[in-house]
Amino acid sequence: MRYICTCCGYIYDPEKGDPLNEIAAGTPFEDLPDAWVCPLCYAEQDSFDPLD
Amino acid sequence: MIGDLASLYQAIELKQEIPPLLIGERANPNGSRKFRDLLLADDFDGCLQVGLEQESRGAQVIDLCVAYAGRDEKSDLPRLVEKFAGSLKAGLMIDSTDPDCIEASLKLYPGRCVINSINLEDGGANLDRICRLARRYGAAVVALTIDESGMAMTAADKVELVERIYHLAVDQYGLRPQDLLFDPLTFTIGSGDTTLFDAGIQTLEAIREIKRRWPDVATLLGVSNISFGLQPAVRKIINSVFLHEAVEAGLDAAIVDAAKVMPLAQISAEDRNVCLDLIYDRERSEEDTPLMRLMAYFSDHQGESEEEAEHGSVPAEEEIRRKLVRGDRDGLEDLLTILLQRYPALEIVNRLLVPAMREVGDLFGRGELLLPFVLQSAEVMKRSVAFLEEFMEQDAESGKQTRILLATVQGDVHDIGKNLVDIILTNNGYKVYNIGIKVPAETIIAKAREHEVDVIGLSGLLVKSAIIMQQSMPQYQEAGLTMPILLGGAALTRSFVAESCVPGYTSPVVYCADAFAGLKAIREYEQGCLASTRTAAAVPVRNRPGPKEAIDSSHDVPSVPFWGRRVVRDIDPEQLFSYLNRQALIRGRWGYRRAKLSKEEYARLLSETVDPLYARLKQRLLDEHLLQPQVVYGYFPCRSEADSLLVNADSELFRFDFPRQVLAPNLCIADYFKGGESAQDLVGFFVVTIGEQLAELTAELFRDDQYHDYLMVHGLGVELTDALAEYWHQQMRAEMGFPDPQGQGELEYVTQEYRGSRYGFGYPACPDLEAHRPLFAMLRPEEIGVSLTETLEMVPEMSTSAIVAHHPQAKYFAI
Ligand code: B12
Ligand SMILES: [Zn+2]
Repeated sequence: MRYICTCCGYIYDPEKGDPLNEIAAGTPFEDLPDAWVCPLCYAEQDSFDPLD
Repeated sequence: MIGDLASLYQAIELKQEIPPLLIGERANPNGSRKFRDLLLADDFDGCLQVGLEQESRGAQVIDLCVAYAGRDEKSDLPRLVEKFAGSLKAGLMIDSTDPDCIEASLKLYPGRCVINSINLEDGGANLDRICRLARRYGAAVVALTIDESGMAMTAADKVELVERIYHLAVDQYGLRPQDLLFDPLTFTIGSGDTTLFDAGIQTLEAIREIKRRWPDVATLLGVSNISFGLQPAVRKIINSVFLHEAVEAGLDAAIVDAAKVMPLAQISAEDRNVCLDLIYDRERSEEDTPLMRLMAYFSDHQGESEEEAEHGSVPAEEEIRRKLVRGDRDGLEDLLTILLQRYPALEIVNRLLVPAMREVGDLFGRGELLLPFVLQSAEVMKRSVAFLEEFMEQDAESGKQTRILLATVQGDVHDIGKNLVDIILTNNGYKVYNIGIKVPAETIIAKAREHEVDVIGLSGLLVKSAIIMQQSMPQYQEAGLTMPILLGGAALTRSFVAESCVPGYTSPVVYCADAFAGLKAIREYEQGCLASTRTAAAVPVRNRPGPKEAIDSSHDVPSVPFWGRRVVRDIDPEQLFSYLNRQALIRGRWGYRRAKLSKEEYARLLSETVDPLYARLKQRLLDEHLLQPQVVYGYFPCRSEADSLLVNADSELFRFDFPRQVLAPNLCIADYFKGGESAQDLVGFFVVTIGEQLAELTAELFRDDQYHDYLMVHGLGVELTDALAEYWHQQMRAEMGFPDPQGQGELEYVTQEYRGSRYGFGYPACPDLEAHRPLFAMLRPEEIGVSLTETLEMVPEMSTSAIVAHHPQAKYFAI
């Protein structure tokens, strides 16, 4: 499932991961490391909302 | 003639002209969770309230029981008896098996009450003591049909026990027959237990027989046992039908939840028949018992009975709670008028409204209620209190209320964070002194003294405000203030408060992430356990830095239509809406998050609530001309020098210093511009604003207690300001020769799918707001009405500034 940052609208797509921050494609949102924050606005993970 | 019973205020006949006498059962920790919680919290006023509530719903006698593990009945019972006696018009039933407690209570009770109860379980020792007390103090007594071998099940056993007790009480202890209430007990016919299927019949028969043989005594029954084990909605119907049958059989008094007795007329003939089949065990066969029929029947008809619970028969106390939780203001004043006939206004606030708001806060905390709905609840609260105010004695409350001073600090015009805190605290029953924005420390000190506040709360938008807070801590200390100080605002962090603010002030200094954290802190203050914020154990490590990035400085310098600054005013406000980040607006600013909703529920929330709201507000902002988008922007020759950018404007040199990332990829904004003595590059800047009108509307909405719309309009304005920046950045890209491809949308803007970048001063790539000084000197935004405060904040608040880099590698990053 994709998640959206409620602060800026960035979408975390597990199919793509977040290569810039060394998050491999296929990593579900739930498995992101605790320290991972929105790559655009630095909002923490609890600011994300499920998208689909 | 003296009645059978009497309270301080009136006589009460055990045998009512229209039976039964209703005895309220809720003031009992074993039967009512609410009462138990109040008792455990030593909230004796709350306990009394439970009695008063039942009285208001028709109970003529209140049963009072306080025996509960861990409580001291010997001190609780007399204390509550005294309280109940002073306030209740209804009679009192002292529900205890401890003769000492009973005696202590009888001594205090000014009227004639009932003792609940005696039986022969222990062979008669207790009965002996209690009957003597009853005679000495002139009380009536409830007798249960229980002996050494247990509770009597059959009509014959019940009647036999009545005979034994009657004989003892009347012949041996000299009580009058009319002072006795016999309870022949009943057992559930709702459990499917085959030994109990005739329990209703046995009880009804016993009542008939008791009344036939001893016409002077009264009969009593705890009716609701009959349906134990069934659904609450079904129980209510069976209990009411059974009560009716029992009264027909001669029942004088019933222990019930008075609110749950339904008039027979409200029960359909069909419903009633199914219940009667069960009570009288009619048409039983192995495969088809009356209980099975009843359960099947009500599983189909559940809807109706629940409907009924929703409407009509809900007591006003429950209805007001629901209205608050739902944020529903329909018929609010009517409902409050009804409640005013039952309680003083202040009681309504403290006993009904404040607990409901507490529930709202808890729901929000658990993610079950979204912020916009919390604000709607607060609106209902505000309206209720406003309505009740004229019925309250002046200042009745203010003496014991906790008082809080709220202010936005010096140099800061940010209003809404502090105002949301005001809304939440005020509507949880606190006294808030909201002294506004841009308040210097001296004024805060003076006002804190003047209003004798218990707690100070400070708010601010930008980092400079956080620094002001830090710097003023020693000032509060020196002034001799001792009340706790709560700090909040977007630019604050827990560790900044712990490390930089806490040391400057002796009393607690507490970081509050949101308004509810503020509420929690106030509660902790009241409980005496508020402590200063301490640094979080582990500072979260940010995303891992990528590899060091080489910036290619061989890029072409775009050509632009003009050099220097320009002002733009003819912008169609409607255009901004197509640059709006709707997701950030709806989920972020407005708080309509999906949270625990399913995809479908969320889609419904959007289409039924959010989309119409958006359409309504958009229309209003356009119709009332509340947006005045204005821009001042420019292109300037520049070159970089190490971490700085040197900009030429009006043949003057302006210098912007940028920080560099300490870790790889070691980015610094200056790197995106050509460097060296003779280098020539181009930089863009802008300041945009949507003007002042919207702020006037938000201020008005706040003043008029339209909290929900206040947050919504503010949120929309904020995002429109960002949209204007987005729009103007796009214009500048086009002017520099790289227009967006067709079909560019919201998501592409979010992820910067365009050439170059814009960096807002104060945002993570260039956190220092000092840059506003050279920027304002170059662009002179005063011409579009934007100025700087002493802490470099822009006024109007809905303004934003940025530096525009055209370098293809330029993207967002954080220092
Ligand atoms: C929306 C927003 C804007 C909007 C509007 C600002 C406004 N409010 O009118 C716009 C787009 C105009 C804007 C502009 C700017 N912004 Co801005 N903005 C934000 C954002 C996203 C939300 C602020 C907001 O309005 N929140 C809603 C209100 C209700 O929340 P709040 O004030 O925080 O209050 C809540 C809590 O903090 C708490 N609280 C607050 N006070 C108190 C007090 C007490 C006693 C208690 C108990 C609780 C409490 O309770 C409140 C309710 O729950 C924040 C980041 C963020 N996620 O918070 C950045 C942020 C504030 N902005 C920032 C910046 C840098 C700017 C600009 C300087 C950028 C620029 N160069 O243009 C400008 C400055 C504008 C100006 N007038 O000077 C930075 C500030 C950092 C800094 N260096 O100072 C932030 C923190 C973003 C970031 N992470 O870097 N911004
Ligand atoms: Zn984000």
